[in-house]
Amino acid sequence: MPGVSIRGLTLRYGDLAAVEGLSLEVAPGELVALLGPSGCGKTTTLRLVAGFLTPESGEIWVGDRCLSSSASVVPPEQRRMAMIFQSYALWPHMTVAQNVAYGLRFKSGVGRSDRIRRVSEMLRVVQLAGYEARYPGELSGGQQQRVAVARALVVEPEILLLDEPLSNLDANLREEMRFEIRRLHEAFGITTLYVTHDQAEAMVISDRIAVLERGRVVQTGTGDEVFGRPRTRFVAEFIGRTNLLDGVAAASDTVTVGRLRFRVAGTGVAPGTRVAVSIRPHAIALTEPVDHPAPGVNALRGTVKRASFLGDSVDYEIALADSDIVLRVVTPVGQRRRAGESVGLQIDPAACIMLTDAGA
Amino acid sequence: MTLRLSRTWTRRVALVASLAVGALVSTAFAQDGRLEAAKKEGKVVWYTSLALPSAEKVAKLFEAAYPGVKVEVHRTGSERIIARVMQELKANIKNVDVVHTSDAGHFVFFKAQKLLTKYTPAGVDGFPAGFKDRDGYYYGLRATVNVIAYNTKAIPAAEAPKTWKDLLDPKWKGKMVTAHPGYSGVISTHVLALVNQYGWDYFKQLAQNKLMLVQSAVDPSGVVASGERPVAVDGGEYTFYQIKKKGNPVEIVYPKEGVPLVVSPTAIMSFAPHPNAAKLFTDFTFSREIQQVMADSEGLYTGHPEVKYPTDKPKLSDLKLLTVDPEELEKRGEEIRQRFVEFFGA
Amino acid sequence: MRLGARALDRSAVVWVGAALALVVLMALPLGWLVALSVSGEQGATLAHYRAVLGDLALRKAVWNTIVLAFWVGLGSVAVGAPLAWLTARTDVPGRGVIRTLVLASFVTPPFLGAFAWVMLAGPNAGLLNKLWRGATGSEDALLNIFSMPGLIFVVTTYTFPYVYIMIANTLALIASDLEEAAAILGAGRFAVALTVTLPMVLPALVSGFILAVLQALALFGSPAILSLPAGFHTITTQIWTFFHFPPKIEMAAAFSIPLLLATALLLLVQKRILGRRGYAAIGGKGGQRRTIALGRWRWPAFGACLVVMACAIFLPYGILAKAALSRAWAQPLTWDNLTLANFTFTFFEYGATRDAIVNTLELGVATATVGAGLVALLAYITSRRLVLGHRLVGFLALAPVVIPGVVLAVALFIAYTRPPLLLYGTLAILFIAYLTKEMPVGYAQSDATFRGIPPELEDAGRILGAGRLRILRDVTAPLARSGIIAAWCFIFIGVIRELSASIILFTPTTKVMSVVIFDLKEEGQFGAIAVLGLVMLALTFVTVAVVQAALGRDVLGVRE
Repeated sequence: MPGVSIRGLTLRYGDLAAVEGLSLEVAPGELVALLGPSGCGKTTTLRLVAGFLTPESGEIWVGDRCLSSSASVVPPEQRRMAMIFQSYALWPHMTVAQNVAYGLRFKSGVGRSDRIRRVSEMLRVVQLAGYEARYPGELSGGQQQRVAVARALVVEPEILLLDEPLSNLDANLREEMRFEIRRLHEAFGITTLYVTHDQAEAMVISDRIAVLERGRVVQTGTGDEVFGRPRTRFVAEFIGRTNLLDGVAAASDTVTVGRLRFRVAGTGVAPGTRVAVSIRPHAIALTEPVDHPAPGVNALRGTVKRASFLGDSVDYEIALADSDIVLRVVTPVGQRRRAGESVGLQIDPAACIMLTDAGA
Repeated sequence: MTLRLSRTWTRRVALVASLAVGALVSTAFAQDGRLEAAKKEGKVVWYTSLALPSAEKVAKLFEAAYPGVKVEVHRTGSERIIARVMQELKANIKNVDVVHTSDAGHFVFFKAQKLLTKYTPAGVDGFPAGFKDRDGYYYGLRATVNVIAYNTKAIPAAEAPKTWKDLLDPKWKGKMVTAHPGYSGVISTHVLALVNQYGWDYFKQLAQNKLMLVQSAVDPSGVVASGERPVAVDGGEYTFYQIKKKGNPVEIVYPKEGVPLVVSPTAIMSFAPHPNAAKLFTDFTFSREIQQVMADSEGLYTGHPEVKYPTDKPKLSDLKLLTVDPEELEKRGEEIRQRFVEFFGA
Repeated sequence: MRLGARALDRSAVVWVGAALALVVLMALPLGWLVALSVSGEQGATLAHYRAVLGDLALRKAVWNTIVLAFWVGLGSVAVGAPLAWLTARTDVPGRGVIRTLVLASFVTPPFLGAFAWVMLAGPNAGLLNKLWRGATGSEDALLNIFSMPGLIFVVTTYTFPYVYIMIANTLALIASDLEEAAAILGAGRFAVALTVTLPMVLPALVSGFILAVLQALALFGSPAILSLPAGFHTITTQIWTFFHFPPKIEMAAAFSIPLLLATALLLLVQKRILGRRGYAAIGGKGGQRRTIALGRWRWPAFGACLVVMACAIFLPYGILAKAALSRAWAQPLTWDNLTLANFTFTFFEYGATRDAIVNTLELGVATATVGAGLVALLAYITSRRLVLGHRLVGFLALAPVVIPGVVLAVALFIAYTRPPLLLYGTLAILFIAYLTKEMPVGYAQSDATFRGIPPELEDAGRILGAGRLRILRDVTAPLARSGIIAAWCFIFIGVIRELSASIILFTPTTKVMSVVIFDLKEEGQFGAIAVLGLVMLALTFVTVAVVQAALGRDVLGVRE
């Protein structure tokens, strides 16, 4: 099972750079999610890997084969890959069995009886046994999606590409299918690239996430790493919600934000550098106003501006004392504060991430 | 140029003579009176089967001689003309003044239907009998004969067909063109003449040679000249003469067995909306000058005794003429068209 | 939608108006047609039908027509579909040029093409045959255009654009990812074309075949020019001969009815096939569609396209130009042979020409203006569902496409050569014929126009207080303007090239250009025909340019 190596890929549409010097390594058997907002280049990257587009510069290697470069591109039919499209792309004039069997026609050494056998097995795996003779038009969205998955897996591709395959499903089904896809990945172990704009999906499904912004990979890492230790403002804001405070580094583990001082997760940043501090709403605990806080913990005071009850949590906007900063805070349902109440806020320094790309 | 001068000159002489003599006044004055009436009417509508350039030429000459009276030329095949006239009548449209076709049978029909004005153009007394209707409703404006013609570049003179019977030879298969009696009066006359001579079997055999079918009797000359088909089995002799004069490689054969004579009558319709213009025009076309023009530049024969013909073609008196009775033509018209289609396909 | 009393009033007015129009345009003439086909001396009789069906010559004409239509259908698909695939899906060079030339073939009147091909492939004088004989020294001709294969060839050359348009539009509708999915699973470019693309355009192929067949059934000019000299008839030429003297209008009527029924049946079948929308999936993500690289087949494919275009455009237009400028069209183009005499003859000496051009332009403008207005009104009413049974109105607006031109002419002739409406001999009868015949194409364009203007745009204005008429003026009309102009132009182009109805309804004072060209053909006046033909083409192309400017996109309707 080979891995994918994307090196310095560039592709422009007119003046617009869709992909700019993009590099990414995908280990064999790994499922990497390409995550980012629309226009960030994730679909373009996927299509470059599939061979539908030719790069202006850069290379794409699968194992020890160079499949794409600006000089030549191995056509899609020879790349030994499979792809699942957002619209599923099931052929309406073929039955489910014919759809699934299609790729096997082009594999040498697979006879007719082999084909039938493998198709039935795969349909069982995706829980569509017995649907061989149906037509795509007769299936529900979820069933169509599973046919698309079966069609891609049955050819035992070296690389599997998924282009937002769940966006057309309703919310409940989407959640269910996330786990299903993860399960299939663990069962088959195919090197996979998964494009999505939904971070929850990326976190559930992938081994690693590559966050894309404007044609580049700005951070890769596990869900934990990307969420808990974002490296740029963009990543911090895109993955989950966050509060971003602009300030100046006072020491390697302290940041001055206006009149407030925050203890932050330590990094080697020279004092005087302009930085931003990222604090997740969930990481803030609300207490009674405290005059003498425990050492090593960021303790602040503020007033509740707004409290929204969301059913399984409460969403606050809290104005900090001695500052014009308003923090978003999310707490479990327990003590509910009301607008106008004074509160104390406690934040673990490890949850205050210092970001040095100020002015992003 | 010469013509106009002679016209004006003739009129001047007539005017002076009439003023001086007085007895001849009536004719001149009658003409002038009619001219005024014709000018008031403004135009004469002419349905004619005379070849288009020839028809347009006659019309222009008339308009030059009589400014203020226009000629509206509508040219199409003889059979189309009668269809058109009858269709218009049925729809109560009275559009046409003068009808001139090459199918004498039409005029027998028109006369029987009381659709013609009785009018004798000036100067036709000297015309042969075949050019005059005994009741005075229609007169032969021009005449031609049907001939064989061939392309001299494609066929050496020695091998060219000489007689109507020669055309039946299988060696001419795929090399001949004929016009259609369903369109052309010249051709329907021709067919009847040969049927009377040889019977319908002649055409049945001729059809075996897979002829190309065109519509107008004018068309075969173009076909032969271009070499599309090297031999024409019929067609108005005047058209071949004209095209030969223009320098095309066409030669005409006048079979010794006889050439079908086609006299093309003309008449004024009883419902003509511009009767005075019509009469003026008719007189004009029968005048010696115009009849001479038809003989000179158009290669036609006429009934006018004073017309001189070009020396490079035979005179009517030199040829053996096959004539056709107009009444028979009218009676058997349907049969002619049907059997022709039966043998030739369309 | 609840209909109150006011809505019913509105409906009533529209209905009465539409009903009246449709009666005058269609019901009355067709009624007379049927009535006359069964009328005899002593009342109703089937004698005419018996005569028509029993006559050997007429049966031959029917058989010839079937043969012609079938092969034209096949030929048009065989040429149009691959051409569409090449320009829409592959990297064949000169795609834009090819599409423009297909458009030019689409608007060239077939009878003009037939006439040009006589000059090219007449067995003895035809230019191509002459070249062949010169090159090989052979006695025989390479091509004989005066034959059934010749007729099929010429008709196919000007009918394949219908199939091309249908296939090209369908190809554009197929989601690109369907083909990409096949490619990534291992299918090479031709395997994709055969296993995915072809089955999905199959309904369009069948539909295109039927469309081509319908065109071939109704043609008059090409058979009259090519088959009559070869000695065989088609249904349309046969109907025309029934109008010769002595006229057999009842036979013409009886012969027309089966043609009408056949056309109606074919259209029904075609609608059924196209109605299966399941195969058209609008979508496709990821920007541009991937073109198939033809590799070493690139230039041969381009060559094949050029051959088709040579047959349709280069050769015929070239020979027309040559004939227009030559004294003798069959002779080589030397300085001696060059002349402008044909132009002077056509415009200054031949009286019928000027009148015909004037008539054609008058009728073209009148029909297009009235027609565009009428179809705009009808299309607006049906797309906004303003009256009860709006679907029926839409159906009736498209109904005339069922009637072949010749049949329509026969029906109009019968209806309007008798009281109360004696329109024969006037331009009015031609106007009615053209309006009826071109209404469907104008309606189709207007319908598409209004469907492209979402009703929400008008609703938004009305909510803010503007009345329906005000909205029409401020919102709808500006947005619909280019589409209405396009409809106008389509009708105009259709009128100036119309022959099959005009040839029956014209009188010497109401000739139009196509009739004059036909007349001149019967006289063998090739030079004048070429000049008039070029004028007609020039008029057409100017109008096409106007459409393209108005619509801002290719008039063939295929989006880039």
